[in-house]
Amino acid sequence: MTFWGALLHNGTYQAVASALFKTQRRQFLILASLPLFWIFFANLGPIVEMFWIGFLDSYPPKVGHEPQFTLANWAAFFQDQVFIVPFFRTLAFSFIFTAITLLITYPVAYFLAKHVKRKNQLLFLLLLLIPFWVGEIVRTYAIMILLGNNGAVNLALKSLGLIERPIPFMYTGFSLGVGIIYLTALYMLLPLYSALEKLPDNYLEAAADLGAGAWTRFRRITLPLSKEGIASGCTLVFLISTGYYATPVLLGGPRSTVFAETIAGFFHVAGDQWPMGAAFSSIMLIATLGVTGLFLKLMGRDGKGMMR
Amino acid sequence: MTGEKDTIVHIDNITKRFGNVVAVDRLDMKIVAGEFVTFLGPSGCGKSTTLRMLGGFETPDEGRIVLDGVDVTRQPPNRRDVNMVFQDYALFPHMSVGQNVSFGLELKGQSRPEIERRMTELLDFLQLSGFRDRTPDQLSGGQRQRVALARALAPDPKLLLLDEPLGALDAKLRGQVQIELKDIQKRTGKTFFFVTHDQEEALTMSDRIVVMNAGRVEQAGTPEDLYFRPESRFVAEFIGETNLINGTVRGIDDDRVVIDWNGLDIRGSGHGHRPGEGDNVTASLRLENVVCHPKKPSRENAIEGRIVSKLFKGSRTSLDIRVGEKEDTVIRAYMDAGNAAQISDDQLWISWEPERLTVLRD
Amino acid sequence: MTRNTRILMSVIYWAFIVYLFVPLALMVTMGFKDSKFIGFPIRSWTLDWYTAVIQDTEVLSVFGYSMTIAISTTILSLIIGTWIAVFLGPNKFRGKAIIFALACLPAVIPGIISAIALRIFARLIDIEPGMFAIILGHTVHNVPFVALVVMARLSTQPKSHIEAARDLGADSIVAFFRVTLPYLKPALIGAGIFCMLLSFDDFVRAFFLGGYQPTLPVLIFAKLRSGMSPEINAISTIVLIMTAILGLWAERSMRRLNKGS
Repeated sequence: MTFWGALLHNGTYQAVASALFKTQRRQFLILASLPLFWIFFANLGPIVEMFWIGFLDSYPPKVGHEPQFTLANWAAFFQDQVFIVPFFRTLAFSFIFTAITLLITYPVAYFLAKHVKRKNQLLFLLLLLIPFWVGEIVRTYAIMILLGNNGAVNLALKSLGLIERPIPFMYTGFSLGVGIIYLTALYMLLPLYSALEKLPDNYLEAAADLGAGAWTRFRRITLPLSKEGIASGCTLVFLISTGYYATPVLLGGPRSTVFAETIAGFFHVAGDQWPMGAAFSSIMLIATLGVTGLFLKLMGRDGKGMMR
Repeated sequence: MTGEKDTIVHIDNITKRFGNVVAVDRLDMKIVAGEFVTFLGPSGCGKSTTLRMLGGFETPDEGRIVLDGVDVTRQPPNRRDVNMVFQDYALFPHMSVGQNVSFGLELKGQSRPEIERRMTELLDFLQLSGFRDRTPDQLSGGQRQRVALARALAPDPKLLLLDEPLGALDAKLRGQVQIELKDIQKRTGKTFFFVTHDQEEALTMSDRIVVMNAGRVEQAGTPEDLYFRPESRFVAEFIGETNLINGTVRGIDDDRVVIDWNGLDIRGSGHGHRPGEGDNVTASLRLENVVCHPKKPSRENAIEGRIVSKLFKGSRTSLDIRVGEKEDTVIRAYMDAGNAAQISDDQLWISWEPERLTVLRD
Repeated sequence: MTRNTRILMSVIYWAFIVYLFVPLALMVTMGFKDSKFIGFPIRSWTLDWYTAVIQDTEVLSVFGYSMTIAISTTILSLIIGTWIAVFLGPNKFRGKAIIFALACLPAVIPGIISAIALRIFARLIDIEPGMFAIILGHTVHNVPFVALVVMARLSTQPKSHIEAARDLGADSIVAFFRVTLPYLKPALIGAGIFCMLLSFDDFVRAFFLGGYQPTLPVLIFAKLRSGMSPEINAISTIVLIMTAILGLWAERSMRRLNKGS
């Protein structure tokens, strides 16, 4: 007998299987068990726990002190510029970076989807994908080498005789932007590409036939029909770019501190300040999800299928 | 009691609803062992739902399905001695032809040599021996269809379900496969439950055809019964091409029904159905049963007419002939192309055997 | 589209490619510089940095540690992600949209927040910072990707395949293992390699959930904070080559999805 034949005719297996699949309902519940456990335990659990810790006066629990409920951690955020400034800077940076990424990658995606021959598209796309498999740290380091005082850009400018002294690109909002866009561009590019690729050429031909010029065609046909891609791409880039920690540490400076660094401080530098860190993380989560939710609403989407 | 023993499937008054739609409405039918029975009807008529209930993929809301004396109404597909040839064949793409055919045997718990023997036997039987190690995507449509058949026959089912298995084949191949399929059914002696919307397929292969419409059986019978003696307008129109004649019953003369058709007296047959005098009835007359004559024949139902249009269709020619005074009394007839060419004049006479004009029941 | 815009767009495309590749190319080049000092110009070349890295037992053990985490994460993510896909794909039930959104949640939560939340959560369920905490964190992050890829593949499987298996005597478990799982194989390979890359490359979760033993990105980060050195370039280059190979492999098996079968 083969393995599966033997299994199906094994008494123990039959007993267990018939108990498990007695009714459709039971079968459904068994199928649902692990996914629901995982989704509530691992996906939702940490977020809920983080919110909760934000309301405690101390955590992890210390001997002889029962954690008390408090709003102080949340209040602290609004009372100190040290916190508020990086917070809004992060949102502003992410917003600007997202916009720049969109402007850069839209032509790239359009070129790829509409001008490259279909059988070559894969190759051209692959060329774009390769750098994105490389990790955050390695790519950040590559940007450091590019923009350093003895980096490639300064070397090139100097040898062209355009500058005498190296321009201090590093440790500024500029270097941070170059780095973040370098890390996130793919998340914009792929949704844009898949939206534009689906756009049939004959729509544009029909529009041209009706007398629409290049700009009108873009504004009236291409842009509205790639809205899905723009919405998903911007959402992903915005959310992901607010979450980087190592890149701002390595590429940014004191004047471009982002909120991720502020939050991390509570967990690394200053001993036991988890509750405040948790509260700040919660504030950031609400803010970022709020902004993207609002954005998607403005784009006329309900946020469903955000991943696609 | 006679014949009761031979019943392999008893579809006992089943009803199936999807929401508010009644897909199958109180269907009651017995299928005899070794029979090739075809369920024929337009899409959405309930034929596929019936098939899926027999396979165990749907459960009837009311009624029972009895397979070889055992109530299997609530048994899942894997616990029934029923196998199916799917419309898209559903061959497992990651398995070779041999593995596909062995699949059911394996799960039946047969030993390896036994599986091997049966699989080889079936591949030989269906002329697939050379394709044993190929994967489905390396086969032609006809070959795939045979593999699907071999796979479904392998576990030796009591009933074989075929869900429009010829739909994916091109027209030329289809005719050949129809003959093959009928031949295989005869040689294996299996009971085939075939579902199709193609009347030609049904007529060619079946021992018995069940015409379904809107969840109900319109008529069941041999292909000849359905073709020449349709009971309803639906069956007459669904199977083949026909002339529908509306008239009033003038009287019954022996077996003949005399109908007043726009002032013309014509004779047809009720085939056991006897309408009352004065009833408005519809009668069906197949195109090939209309006989054309250059001169007035000495026969019943001889009517003079004029050719309105002539359509050359290769082996035969279809003629539209206007008879009587009114504009809409047009009869369509088939003629051999050779005979049609001889009719030079537009005026001609037509006639038919009263047997062939079937008075419908509705 | 006029000729000029076409040319302009192709220029933008190639400029973008240059933007993507030049920094990495510079980084690779710098690993061969015969000087401790990172920056241009490069006057002489050497392979010393590579030989040093290959002989460095610390780097090797960190590499092994990262690999262990990546492989464990991948296995767990594939199992859980596939299970979720099989649950969410074909079934219809009330609240499915919410469950689906929650299932995808970890993929869109900003990295730092996810890391912090998991750090606190690990404390709650009594997992010490270290390997298990990182594996948990990476699995949480990777499961949505697996689930989405598998769901996409699952949606292309004809329903008749499973029905045919059931018809031929398989119960739902056997039908899954004999028919559905082989059908998912290319998606699973692709998603699996993608998981390995995500885990192997991840910094922020490994940083906050790790104990004393660093993962490779954490080690590179720590080295960078104490100053740039061609040694880091050598390590990074090795990592880069490995990820590129894995990535191409993943891409290849994912592309097979588009072909029929």
